[in-house]
Amino acid sequence: MVAVTAGERGVRYDIRGLAEPDAVAPKIAKIDGDTAGFDAADLSPRQINLELRRLVYGEGIREVTIDNPGAKHSIAVGILTCCRIRINGSLGYFGCGLVDGPEIHITGRVGWSVAENMMSGVVVIDKNAGSLTGAAIRGGDLVIRGHVGARTGIDQKGGTIIVGGNAGATTGFMMQRGRQIICGDAGGGLGDSMYDGSIYVAGKVASLGVDCVEAEMTPADDELIDRKFRIYGMDRPDTFRKFTCGRKLWNYDNLEPSERKLVL
Amino acid sequence: MSEPFDLSSRKLTTRKGIDTEELTGKTFPYQFDRSLVEDIDLAAATPGEDLNWLEDINLMEEDGVPAVFDRYTNAFLKIHFEIPEGRGDEYARKVLIKHLQEGNSYGVWLKHKHAKFPQPSLGSWIADSPTVGESWTPPRLEGWEQPLGH
Repeated sequence: MVAVTAGERGVRYDIRGLAEPDAVAPKIAKIDGDTAGFDAADLSPRQINLELRRLVYGEGIREVTIDNPGAKHSIAVGILTCCRIRINGSLGYFGCGLVDGPEIHITGRVGWSVAENMMSGVVVIDKNAGSLTGAAIRGGDLVIRGHVGARTGIDQKGGTIIVGGNAGATTGFMMQRGRQIICGDAGGGLGDSMYDGSIYVAGKVASLGVDCVEAEMTPADDELIDRKFRIYGMDRPDTFRKFTCGRKLWNYDNLEPSERKLVL
Repeated sequence: MSEPFDLSSRKLTTRKGIDTEELTGKTFPYQFDRSLVEDIDLAAATPGEDLNWLEDINLMEEDGVPAVFDRYTNAFLKIHFEIPEGRGDEYARKVLIKHLQEGNSYGVWLKHKHAKFPQPSLGSWIADSPTVGESWTPPRLEGWEQPLGH
């Protein structure tokens, strides 16, 4: 693979756009049966991800613990297998993105866009998350026990996002499918331009976005909320209000029928 | 894993429908025989303590035929066997998981040629999946030569 050097800082990348093309897995993890752990304090994000992939893809490890992640960016991305990952500390931005299958527990905070484009799996964050949490997720459970920033679940196409605290402005912006359960308050413009899906809010809603309307809670809604809170050991607020799409902006079913398939 | 698809016999059309049979040029036995998917354990095939991503998979319809949408191919997989009343979503999910576990999803099958990074071929649907993407090389157009100075 050809490597190219570019930019004032001389960052090297290959034709796939991969930075640090010559990096190799540091092989520092301590392996015990099908569990392993390593200290990420002195590793670059690329080295951390290479070590993680070496363990879950190459060594068949099912449980990995990462200590001292140092709020580095883009950690635990693109993991495409069933495994458990525990991250003792906080992550920077774009953590746990593009995953399909893993169950990840982060004991600290996360920056923006955690679990973006998650296809399946479970990501649990014990503290707060930044903006764009769960951007464009298509499936799986994303649980934030603390508060989240703006535009949580923007372009969400499936899956369930659970927020233990408050959610910022424009939560559920352009949401197309899936569910959001917010235990605290929601900022202004909730569900703006959403096409489908459901948002449940236990606290106050500052304002609704364009074409977002309140709907009746059903027994199926309560079953879903009860089940998710039971699984994640969270205290369920007594009452939720449900918000869905008012379907006044639903024009494209008539205009472009095949386009609808592309967002399913 | 199933045999590589022989794409020579497929006939792509310009119609708006997106169907697995059109993309692969073939159908699969579990689209016709319900007994082939009865044993699929949906909870075991998904992460977490419930159905996880399968919660968003429902029985749909394509060309007037019951079908399940395969998000890994962006196409419908038609289901031709009789589905017991009230169990449409369950069988849609079982057919889809069988399709993925057998490596028959067209989008997943394309990984053999196009995956740029080492990864499990069959994702999270099956344990000990073979690895693909270890020896990717950029495609070169036949007869093309790199311009001087590059």
